[in-house]
Amino acid sequence: MGQLRVGHLVEAGLWLLLCLFLYIYSFDFDKDIEIYKFGASAWPRVIILLMAIAAIGQLFHHWKKGDESSSQIISAATDDGAEEAAHESHHESLKWYASTFGLLVIPFAYMRVPDWIASFLSLEGTSAHVIRIVCAVILAGVFVYYMRRNMVGAMLTLPLFFAALLEDMGFYSIAPFFIIGVMYLFGERRAKPMALVAGLIYGLLMLLFVKILFVGLPIGNIRPFYDIGSWVVTVLQ
Amino acid sequence: MDAFNNFLTGTITLFSDPMGVLIFFGGVIGGMLFGAIPGVSMLTLAAILLPFTAHLSPEHGIMLFSVIYCTGVYGGAITAILFNIPGAPENAPTAFDGYPMTLKGQAGKAVGAAVMCSALGGTVSTIIMMLATAAIADWAISAFGPPEIFALVFFGLAVAASVGAKTFWKGWLSILAGLMVAVVGLDPVGGIERYDFEMPYLLAGIHFIPTILGFFAVSEIFVQVEKKVKGDFVAPKISVDFPSLSELIAHKFAVIRSIVIGFFCGILPGIGATLAAFMGYNEAVRWSKTPEEFGKGKLEGVISSETANNAATGAAMIPLLALGLPGGALTAMMVGVFQMHDMEPGPLVFINSADLVWVVFAAMFFANISILFIGFLETKTIINLLRIPFQFLAPMILLLATVGAYAVRGLTIDVIVMFLAGVIGFFLRRSGYSVAGIVLGLILGKIGEQTFAQAMQMLHFEWSGYLDRPIAFGLLVAGVLTLCGSIYGAFFKKNRRPPITSG
Repeated sequence: MGQLRVGHLVEAGLWLLLCLFLYIYSFDFDKDIEIYKFGASAWPRVIILLMAIAAIGQLFHHWKKGDESSSQIISAATDDGAEEAAHESHHESLKWYASTFGLLVIPFAYMRVPDWIASFLSLEGTSAHVIRIVCAVILAGVFVYYMRRNMVGAMLTLPLFFAALLEDMGFYSIAPFFIIGVMYLFGERRAKPMALVAGLIYGLLMLLFVKILFVGLPIGNIRPFYDIGSWVVTVLQ
Repeated sequence: MDAFNNFLTGTITLFSDPMGVLIFFGGVIGGMLFGAIPGVSMLTLAAILLPFTAHLSPEHGIMLFSVIYCTGVYGGAITAILFNIPGAPENAPTAFDGYPMTLKGQAGKAVGAAVMCSALGGTVSTIIMMLATAAIADWAISAFGPPEIFALVFFGLAVAASVGAKTFWKGWLSILAGLMVAVVGLDPVGGIERYDFEMPYLLAGIHFIPTILGFFAVSEIFVQVEKKVKGDFVAPKISVDFPSLSELIAHKFAVIRSIVIGFFCGILPGIGATLAAFMGYNEAVRWSKTPEEFGKGKLEGVISSETANNAATGAAMIPLLALGLPGGALTAMMVGVFQMHDMEPGPLVFINSADLVWVVFAAMFFANISILFIGFLETKTIINLLRIPFQFLAPMILLLATVGAYAVRGLTIDVIVMFLAGVIGFFLRRSGYSVAGIVLGLILGKIGEQTFAQAMQMLHFEWSGYLDRPIAFGLLVAGVLTLCGSIYGAFFKKNRRPPITSG
């Protein structure tokens, strides 16, 4: 096994699986182009082939040299502390990865589950909106429950969840909660500074983008969030 | 003489336009601040500002980025010297001797040397850039067709992949992942949909702005939450003491050597300021008669590192403006600024937008000069600003990135793509991959495939056609040699330990 670890095998396996998937999918657009004899699929297939070679080369490197870098000078120059932070925080275990990817399912669940329920129950209009709000509340509850057990996983999930909610609930309604959530995940626990800073950041952003630059931000599709967003825009503009 | 006249015209244009002056000073101060604050970098600022440059004129947009590049590289030296926390990777070697100097009560001299050498390295590099770029662009117009551009892209990627990540293979995987992302959307010759997964959003390809924001600004916040950066610095009392003339003369060889190293690192794709600083420092140790004194507070360590990293900035603009090819993350973002204004960087910019080029050159020159003055005044302000805890900065950065990603096309899916890129960037960075390599692959992938297709059509699909084009052939050979050298190193060479110290 040389200096190989399970993580190295998983890493190489993931790259090779990705290559396989991309190669199989390339048959979907393997069409001739009259003026270009290589067609549309030659370029991506060469990249896939090189990716597979590099993934095997990386595996060979791990087998021979473990986690050693190619050159100390390059390693020092490209080191941004991310690897060391991961190592020091013990966030390299299978349990941590499972918990993180479990949390990351939440925003994607919000993007799909409400539609499935509404379609299953043949709901439209306001009733479908209620389903979306209920799903958002339940998923937010799940997020808060698991957040304390995996703060880094929660930090990766929160912005994605925020982005998933933007279309329905709008920037204006949920941004303050997002600001407080990020501060909390960074270790801030004092309520007064959190409220003050959240108000300050929200106010500054509104002033700059809505009042001065007239940037149109999502106001949301669902009531009452839509009404709140419209009210903020009307007041500021 | 022409260059001098053009420089004067650029200077007058820059300083006679109030908006230009405002953006110039905003870039100077913003670059220094983001360079200095640990946890963010000039790349974070550039990524956040990128979408908003659509509202600026092309001159102002490119000028803003070039100014941020110059001052951002200097900014991180202050925290490296005073707190042993480099604001950005390119200032890491500065901390090796800068922080021991602070411990010895010589912080003022170390900061003064950093200010002076950053300004000197950057200014000399900018002057060479002004003299060389136009000449290279003139030559490139007649000498560079699609085969040469494709060969240059190949050479650039080969160099970038060899030095960009923890291992040669991870460097290549990063670049190839970027090239693969660039494939998504319509193919450049026949307009055939590729990897669109029947999603209309993907038909236009993955937009580079959310991707860049995600990889640089968002993933940085994620890395910081793992590090749990606290901004609870105790502001030291600081003065800036410039090194005396005799001290500078005593280090003249270190300064000249670092300028040469920095310039060549800057001009070669993918190497840039970070590796320039490490190589500048490394060579200073190798050439020194007293190498054992390095890492213990030797002024030459600070001088070598700071001169080399700033000398890389002007040089990095040469391939971008003369040939249209970015060599690093920030110059790749500059390509984005050009594209948002329906312009392509490259030799024709000198004919079609000569004003833009000379305003940018003048701005870079004065940005380096301003490091001397604003660097002197700003140091105390930066130290006080570092008291702002990172937990209050992080939501601001994430929301600015959100607005930036959304403002480009008014699509919430761009915000989702940005945060997804942030998550992917976070996992790749903690595994030793290079997000800069991915972005370089993304930007060069589109240029590479298009020029490859044009080149093969031009050469009637005969590979031997490259033999008749010496520049293209030479670049391909150089790329292959770089690749072979790296493969040889990866398989057979033992990792020799250069005299790099961690202080």
